[in-house]
Order: sequence, then C-alpha cells, then structure tokens
Amino acid sequence: MVDERQDALLAQMRRGTLQYCVLALLASEERYGFDLVRGLAGVDGMVTSEGTIYPLLSRLRRDGLVESTWQESPSGPPRRYYRATDAGRHALDEFKREWSRFRDAVDTLVEGRADT
Amino acid sequence: MTSNADRLVDDYLKRLDRELGDLPRQRRRELTEEIAGHIVEARADLPVENEAEIRNLLERLGEPADIAAESRERFGVRRRQAGVVEILALIGLLVGGVILPIIGWFVGLIFLWVSAAWTTRERLLGTLVVPGGLAPGLLLLMFGVYGEACTRVLQDGSLVSETCTEGSELLGLPGGIAIVLLLLAPLATTAFLALRLRCSAPVPYQPSPGSA
Repeated sequence: MVDERQDALLAQMRRGTLQYCVLALLASEERYGFDLVRGLAGVDGMVTSEGTIYPLLSRLRRDGLVESTWQESPSGPPRRYYRATDAGRHALDEFKREWSRFRDAVDTLVEGRADT
Repeated sequence: MTSNADRLVDDYLKRLDRELGDLPRQRRRELTEEIAGHIVEARADLPVENEAEIRNLLERLGEPADIAAESRERFGVRRRQAGVVEILALIGLLVGGVILPIIGWFVGLIFLWVSAAWTTRERLLGTLVVPGGLAPGLLLLMFGVYGEACTRVLQDGSLVSETCTEGSELLGLPGGIAIVLLLLAPLATTAFLALRLRCSAPVPYQPSPGSA
C-alpha cells in the first residue's frame, strides 16, 4: 500500500519536473527526439516509458518554450531537431531558482536540520 | 529488416494512431510521425535486429494507450470515444421517456452526466433541451390528434348538453408550432451531442515530411 502511494508520488514529481529536465537538455544544444529521449533515459529514474516524452515536446513547442527545425540525417529520413527558445531558457532559470529553494527547504526538514 | 519486425512496428503505429484519435489532427500526425521517427532511429541503433529486440524497443516506448493518455493530459483534451455509456445516454435522452415514461429519460440523464465525453456546457444543453426528450412533443401531438375537451351541463343530475372541442382546435397554430419545436429540438440536441463524440476513423500518418 505504501509502495503504491510512493510510486504515485514519484510519478507526480517526475511529471512536474520532466519538462524542465527536457528544457535543460535543450538549452545548450539542439537534439533530435531519439537523442533527447536517450539523454533522459540515461539518468536513472527519470523516464519510465520513452514514448511519453513526445507529447511533452509537442506541448513545449506549442507553448513556444522549444522550437524545432528539420535537418537531413546522415542515415535515414530527416530529423526534427529541438532547441530551447529564449522563453524556454527563461522558464528554466526561474525553475532552477525555485527548485533549489524548495530542495533546500525539504532537505532541512526531512533530515532534521531544522531543530539544530 | 525482417518482415515480422516490420509488422510489429506497423501494428504499434496503427494502434498509436487510433488511440490518439481525440487529439487535433495536426497534433495527432506530429506525434505519430515523431514516434515513427524514433522507432526508425532506435532500429538503426540495434546491434542485431530480431523480433525480440523490436519487442523490447516497443516496450520501452510504452503502450500506445499510455502515450495517448499522456497526450490528452498535456493538451487538456477530453476522451471523446463513443462507448456504451455515451450511446445509452443519447438513446435515453431522446426516446427513454417514450419507452419508459419519465424514468427512461432520467436514466439517459444520469449517463449523460456520468460520461466524461461531454463538457459541462454540452451536458446542460442535453439536460435542458428538452427535458423528457421526444416524449413531451409526442404527448402534445397525441392530444392534438386524438384528444378532445368536453363541457357538460348538468341540471338536477341529468345531462342537459355536452359541447366538445377537438384537441387540434384547442391547440391551434401556436400549439402546432410548439409540437414541431418540441420534436425538432431534442433531435437537434441529440445529433449535436453525437457529433461531439469522435468517430475513430484513422488519419493516415506519413513517416517523413515531403514523402507522399
């Protein structure tokens, strides 16, 4: 029962932060979908099913946080390369600030440092 | 490339495209295209291609239904598939009151509000136009055709005279118009609600842009 609740919690946390992880990967260089998914899946615990990254990418593109261009691939069909826009990088910077505050706050409480 | 692997991938993409049916056409095509592209890249990356490897690859991608659920959530799109609940709602609202007076319509109403396929505004429309569905219009029509109203004059307990007016005469032109409206409105509402449900005809996807 506890495990189930923890799984749900982890899924929620992953869901909430995944878009910033994607933005972080696309902030400094452009990547095509498969490459990006690889980058995320390479970090343990971040992605459970690779296909769900694509709806997120599509949404980020619609929101103007990410833009894409088609480029020829050395092998096979052309690839859609994604890159964070200025708005995307701005959103990422804001998240980074909030995230470190939040992380520190949780660490302080969870690790019992608030008493000392 | 083995044909078995191709068939697995093809099946997967077809299922995905069908599951994505609730999304706007353009999003649906983009997602199917991107995931088809992902599969091409992932296959090119396999050291050896066999059925087991393809199955692993597709499993890592995830179930089409899960990808579709994620897409609906990311884009705030409702699932609008016509299921048993939706069909019962439409039948109940339209003719439920005729089949089983009053109760039948309420059954339809419950299904209308239970189903997630319609928005609140659409549900309100289904509730208010017209309560009872076709039943009120039909009832009025029956009265117009078969009904009559009689006035009896009694004197010392015995009937002196009886004047009867036919239903159609009582209703007159306004009544006739009311009947037509009461019959047309629920038909229009039901048709509208039915059209809001998606028909699951697949949109053909293109593996890459430019290619036919």
